[in-house]
Amino acid sequence: MTTLLEVRNLTTYFHTQDGVVKAVDGVSYDVNRGETIALVGESGCGKTVSALSILRLVAEPAGRIMTGEVLFDGIDLLKLSTEEMRKMRGAKISIIFQEPLTSLNPVLTIGKQISEGLEFHKGISSSDGIQEAIHLLKMVGIPHPERRIYDYPHQFSGGMRQRAMIAIAIACQPQLIIADEPTTVVDVTIQAQLLELIKNITREFGTALILITHNLGIVARYANRVFVMYAGKIVEHGTAHDVYHNPYHPYTVGLLASVPRLDEPQKTRLLPIEGQPPDLIALPIGCSFQPRCMYAVPRCQKEKPLLLDISPNHYAACWLSQNGIRPWQKKSS
Amino acid sequence: MAITSEVQAISVRPHHTLWGDAIIRLRRNYFAMGGLAFIILLSLAAIFAPVITQYTFAEQNLDEILEGPSWDHWMGTDQLGRDTFARLIYGARTSLAVGIFTQLIVICIGLPIGAISAYAGGKTDNYIMRFVDVMYAFPDILLIILLRSVLGGSIYMIFLAIGLVSWVNVSRLVRGQIMNLKSRDYVSAARAMGGMGRYITWRHLLPNSLGPVIVSVTFNIPRAIFTEAALSYIGIGVQPPTPSWGAMIQDGFNLIFSKPYMLLFPAIALALLMLAFTFLGDGLRDALDPKLRR
Repeated sequence: MTTLLEVRNLTTYFHTQDGVVKAVDGVSYDVNRGETIALVGESGCGKTVSALSILRLVAEPAGRIMTGEVLFDGIDLLKLSTEEMRKMRGAKISIIFQEPLTSLNPVLTIGKQISEGLEFHKGISSSDGIQEAIHLLKMVGIPHPERRIYDYPHQFSGGMRQRAMIAIAIACQPQLIIADEPTTVVDVTIQAQLLELIKNITREFGTALILITHNLGIVARYANRVFVMYAGKIVEHGTAHDVYHNPYHPYTVGLLASVPRLDEPQKTRLLPIEGQPPDLIALPIGCSFQPRCMYAVPRCQKEKPLLLDISPNHYAACWLSQNGIRPWQKKSS
Repeated sequence: MAITSEVQAISVRPHHTLWGDAIIRLRRNYFAMGGLAFIILLSLAAIFAPVITQYTFAEQNLDEILEGPSWDHWMGTDQLGRDTFARLIYGARTSLAVGIFTQLIVICIGLPIGAISAYAGGKTDNYIMRFVDVMYAFPDILLIILLRSVLGGSIYMIFLAIGLVSWVNVSRLVRGQIMNLKSRDYVSAARAMGGMGRYITWRHLLPNSLGPVIVSVTFNIPRAIFTEAALSYIGIGVQPPTPSWGAMIQDGFNLIFSKPYMLLFPAIALALLMLAFTFLGDGLRDALDPKLRR
């Protein structure tokens, strides 16, 4: 497998009146061709901003990508001209936003919005675009696509709108799709359907997928590798299997403990992570997670742990793990 | 069975577009429809004026000056023996043309300037808006008088002069709308699909900001008509013998105590037309606001 996208030391700050918000603070990850990776973390930890930074769609002038490299097929996207970048968006990399209600323009028909990308990048006519849109709508499982393309977004249900968003995202057959919490606003059954649809499509076209979510249940089923983010940094990453069965960072442990699992006795209590995510303007000097960490030792307050490999292909930024101490592990499992 | 009936239910459901919905809502508003009917009626009367009345607006009959309403002259005659009814419906041409053409000019100038200003942002936006502020601060009538002395006295120049002083409101409105819409998710989505700035402004932002613009334009039409009437009243509007409601009101005003009907008919006509446009504007505002949807 060859690397499709390589994000290196990406740093995106927002300059606000209160100070500099370090939304993404030196994040690195990579995606292989056709692979699905997951970016996991709670709200406000920088998942979405790091994804928007790849497409250079961070809201300016407040938000700015300070340093880093985003190598896509060997080309640094951050060095492209505005026009060159525009040609990448939608054609090579596309994104599915989390709010299908607000991400579709209320005054344009669904068909028009699907064919737009094709008109931008392939220079095809509107009428050919409509034909293509019918085909795409059928592919994402909307009945009567030939009639439905003339509908407006308000005539679609939430799940159908998200299907339409998927159709828009795959229209130009991009090599990478970023799905930003694609199933947050729909109910669980539709959620499963949509994720299966995304999985099948990425498998069919060999598209790589960055799945941004806070739902660890989704991650286990769909992602090859997992990157856990906390306060703008990646605190742990590894294969989905490793991260699930042998987490190295107490934050990941907390996330796992707060999700119901079928493979554990039903009496097991769900444990929330106490406290609030830190203020991204004034981060603690040491480990960002230390104020909420029940295993913290004095060193955690003074020094920031680096993201190091603890076992092959499994990295974590935690002083305890790096020293082989894992008090959260169950004995002899 | 259940599935087939559901499929049929989907297929027979009527197709509602955004504008279609607005029209349905407008139709239910009797005041707005009344206003629209009056405007259409007056437009037809203005267009077919030669068919409706045997008199022309300039034809003088010095044997029948200052007559009251009669079978021959429905609204009487003025001090030159011209038929008031004929002058009123020919004058409607002037008033309606002023209303519509000035607003076309307003849209042609105000819409692009507002849109460019909002989309460009930063310095460009700042410069354009300061210019708009200057235009806004300048007294309208004074500016029109200045423009009239530069542009000359033809009726088209009146359209142009009124248009040139009234585009600022629309440009501000459009700018505000687009500034607001710019941060919507679907704009990011369109950018994420590789949309160009110009395309996004034109296809995504402008159509979404049109509702308030249409309402504003409808409210501005009576203002333009009134401005023209005011200009004619002070003698710098449409030049005689071309009839204008403002000039007719001024003629009538001189004889307000002896021949009140000379003032009454054009004044009522002007009031009704303004009211009609205001009702229509109100109705459009309600119809185009999805929040008021029942």
